[in-house]
Amino acid sequence: MFPWSKKKKSASIAKDRLTIAIMSDRRNDTAPFMDEMKAEIIEVVKKYMSVKAIEITKEREGDIEALSIDIQLDA
Amino acid sequence: MGIVIAVISGKGGVGKTTATANLGLGIAMNGENVVVVDFDIGQRNLDMILGLENRVVYDMVQVMEGEVGIKQALIKSKVNPNLSFLAASQTKDKTVLESSKVKLLLESLKDNFDYVILDAPAGIEGGYEHTIEFADAAIIVVNPEVSSIRDADRAIGILDSKSQKVKDGEEVVKYLIINRIVAQMVQSGEMLNSEDILEILNIKLLGKIPEDRGVIDASNQGKPIILTDKSIAGEAYKRISMRICGKNVKMEDIEREDVGFMNRFKGIFK
Repeated sequence: MFPWSKKKKSASIAKDRLTIAIMSDRRNDTAPFMDEMKAEIIEVVKKYMSVKAIEITKEREGDIEALSIDIQLDA
Repeated sequence: MGIVIAVISGKGGVGKTTATANLGLGIAMNGENVVVVDFDIGQRNLDMILGLENRVVYDMVQVMEGEVGIKQALIKSKVNPNLSFLAASQTKDKTVLESSKVKLLLESLKDNFDYVILDAPAGIEGGYEHTIEFADAAIIVVNPEVSSIRDADRAIGILDSKSQKVKDGEEVVKYLIINRIVAQMVQSGEMLNSEDILEILNIKLLGKIPEDRGVIDASNQGKPIILTDKSIAGEAYKRISMRICGKNVKMEDIEREDVGFMNRFKGIFK
């Protein structure tokens, strides 16, 4: 590399971009059993209340992974 | 009782089938009994790479459906009697696979071979899921390039959630092969190096394979590159095969290799 060309090497750009893209892919990665689980949870809650919608998201913060379940009830 | 290894990639065109063929032969050269199975239903290619396309009579779908026996469908390699091959169906589509039938097929192959190597289809849909479902181990093939690495991560994610081993609370052994490395480009910072790729994917390395024009020449002839003496990719496949067979082989440092004055000189004009 010549001293006057300060352009960032493309391999390190690739690494940065991939790290961010893959982090986001993994965060949004809904487990394959998610739809099944959703249906089962609805069935259980339905026994006691009427359910309008259910939203399950998998979140990761550092080493901790959490599942948050939002159940919207039928008013 | 043999072990089942799925060769996967996520993205197509990274050298998955070439790797399957070469590793199958490489393991056979180590004296082990190997069968390579093409799971890419509807897009059969492993037969071409192995040079066995004219000998395919029955395929794995016919075996799974009970139309023919496994012994009738297996094709023995001309170059190494330790290697057998089971073709994919070319007329059916990927939806034809069923878990219970795949399991039975793999069980009977495991009874007859030390290594059962499955060439997965590209993508992460049903056909891919069936390939990894009953695998004991997976070899992930990537190119040092962003789309291949990102797709590989998705494929690994599915492996980690859908394989039977994981569902049983066990671990699927996973190893990475980085294929088509150009040392000059890594050295000049234009290509991701292996350390970075391993860090991004959080996986262990099985081996590195340099870019080698001989691979296309080899596939033209249906003779996997591992059969070509002193070819750089072939030698890399030999080392990886020995590792799979439990031999301790030093990790090749092909990225830091001196590319030689003439090559560097030529590089300027590329």
